[in-house]
Amino acid sequence: MPGTPLVRPALPVSPISPVPPALPVLPALRELLPRGGLARGSVVAVAGFGLLALALLAGASAAGAWSAIAGIPEAGVLAAVGLGLDAERTLLVPDPGTAWPLVVASLLDGCELVLLRPPARAPAPARQRLEATLRRGHGVLVVAGDWPGAQVRLRVVTQGWTGLGDGHGRLRACCAEVTADGRGEAALTRTRWLWLPAEDGSVALAEPPDIPAADIPAAGLPDAASVRYLRTVGGLALVSG
Amino acid sequence: MSAHPAAALAPAALEAGVQRVMVVCCPDLGASEPDPAAVQRSEPAVAGRSEPAAAQRFEQVIAAVTGFCPRVEAVEPGVCAFGARGPARYFGGETVLARKIIAALADLGEQARIGAADGLFAALLAARGAERILVIPPGETAEFLARQPVSVLAGQVPDGQELAGLLRRLGLPTLGDLAALPAGDVAGRFGVAGEAAGRLARGLGAPPLAVRPPAEDLSVTREFDPPETLAEPVVFAAKALAERLHGGLAARGLTCVRVQVEATWADGRESRRLWRHDGLLSAAGVADRVRWQLDGWRAVPPGTEPPGPGPAGQERGDGGVAVLRLAPDHLVRATGHQLALWGEAVVTDAVARAAMRVQALLGHQAVLRPVVDGGRNVCDQVTLVPFGEKTEPRLDPGAPWPGRVMGPAPAVVYPFAREADVTDDSGAAVTVSGRCVASAAPAWLAVEGEPPLRVTGWAGPWPLSERWWDPAAARRRARFQLLTGDGRAWLAAVQDGRWLIEAGHGLG
Repeated sequence: MPGTPLVRPALPVSPISPVPPALPVLPALRELLPRGGLARGSVVAVAGFGLLALALLAGASAAGAWSAIAGIPEAGVLAAVGLGLDAERTLLVPDPGTAWPLVVASLLDGCELVLLRPPARAPAPARQRLEATLRRGHGVLVVAGDWPGAQVRLRVVTQGWTGLGDGHGRLRACCAEVTADGRGEAALTRTRWLWLPAEDGSVALAEPPDIPAADIPAAGLPDAASVRYLRTVGGLALVSG
Repeated sequence: MSAHPAAALAPAALEAGVQRVMVVCCPDLGASEPDPAAVQRSEPAVAGRSEPAAAQRFEQVIAAVTGFCPRVEAVEPGVCAFGARGPARYFGGETVLARKIIAALADLGEQARIGAADGLFAALLAARGAERILVIPPGETAEFLARQPVSVLAGQVPDGQELAGLLRRLGLPTLGDLAALPAGDVAGRFGVAGEAAGRLARGLGAPPLAVRPPAEDLSVTREFDPPETLAEPVVFAAKALAERLHGGLAARGLTCVRVQVEATWADGRESRRLWRHDGLLSAAGVADRVRWQLDGWRAVPPGTEPPGPGPAGQERGDGGVAVLRLAPDHLVRATGHQLALWGEAVVTDAVARAAMRVQALLGHQAVLRPVVDGGRNVCDQVTLVPFGEKTEPRLDPGAPWPGRVMGPAPAVVYPFAREADVTDDSGAAVTVSGRCVASAAPAWLAVEGEPPLRVTGWAGPWPLSERWWDPAAARRRARFQLLTGDGRAWLAAVQDGRWLIEAGHGLG
């Protein structure tokens, strides 16, 4: 057939890959993360276990991903459910024991998100093997604690609760300053003020007027991390450390 | 007549493992009537007409029949069955055996009818016939079944009575007519009940038995001599074992809810684990579980130092697997109804495999699923259910629970409340009076194992008196919310004069 070209141009590469590159997170956390989500195959470390770690799971879980929480027997499932975690799609392994790297690797086979609090000293070979497992799969490991190879590190720098006075009131909401840094595209330090949680139990970006003591870090202190100070602004106790 | 399709199928049915079954039917003791017309019950009889005496007499009947054959299975009140081949050979024929049993039961004052045929269903029908003893010779069961009216299906298959009526109206008055239809068409037109009925009519399916004693010898065992040190041959043997197990269960129309895998090592240690089965696992699926169990055992041998996360050691000191045993646990009738394996459809295969792998490593109770629950205390509001079991809230989470502590749910809920000391400025412990008044403002919080923290805000006490009507479960507590200098918030309670930290909002 003379009209048929011998060489057809290649089909344009579909811009949408079958596996999205990042797992979604709650809208308030998007700006803290380099790709607006949890990059698949990566490790995201949160300095300590708290609502922030649970909030990282909530977005993807609400979108239908399975998540597992390992090594955190005290994880407040109700708070996580309030953030959007789907309890039906959550596995809990409160005590993964000494075989925790194997447990986490197994969990990553089935769950896209695993929140882990590793033992105090996670040996480097175990960590590296898990990272290799992660890269092969498409899951995300959220670590509550220290993880030297983490791509993104999140930390609550400052937090202050509202609503509780001296013998009266009740806990209502917590305004927290969260910083994110890490390696590669996450190297730039990002800082956001979040309601963690807001009064309705959700996570929201704090508006500038809500931020109670934005002037504190600028107070001329040489090293904010080495100084602990307490200030009360409008009934809100704010601590930096 | 011999060209009847059902008759032609009979040898195949025999080869498929249909056994000679003898049924002893005591019409006085159960709902089973000799008159076939009265068999048209929609419900299988239960509990011997609520007459405890009948149940006791039936126990005696079973005990007497057990004298002739040790493995007797109670089919329904007043009816028991056993495999006839062995006993018949021993006693000199089925008719002789039947006469002996009738004589033995007559000594107990029971009138019994006995039927023997290929398969339980035909034997049951034979026992319900007009004769005291009806033995259908081997190979003639299909003809016998073909003559039976479809009404005998009532109580044997789901909705049997309606199905029988439908079949009659469609011009299929006998089981032979039903057996003549292609099995696939019957299943397509009449569903599960039709398929079961078709199998019965062909002499293939037997109504399931409740085995007495349960599960005793349905387990299958394989011994390894010398003990097998590698996992692969054990897993391979496990697959064959599982096929035998499934075959044994299927021959009795049973399925098991769980299967227990027991491995005994050459040094005498044992590893036992129950796996969810629900009749849905293939032999390969069971073999997978055996593999995971062995892996788990190898990764962390109890009582020894774990070899670390490295690949399972090839040479270990345990000497290898000596015995592998699969035992069915919790036998149920194989109804053919396939519910979603995990109670809900959300669990994908990958998740189930991952969870079961971890269960193999750590045990059934180690992988949990949370269920949001009702309750007034934070620790009550989530129930943890082992993976694979049914997840249902105990209490209604949607109901109002006055007395719940207000405020956002805590991110940290301690599974066991932590002890704490709360002191005032002078260093004296803060107490709560019977009228729920705090002795002083809390100034310091020392949670066990942590240095004291300055209390920067507090509220309470909020009383909670639960289950005062039940002395064993009653508890009174006064709850506080505390804020400490490091920015953390705590949910504390005073109970019996002790401070307990139930939950908190952690850092991060």
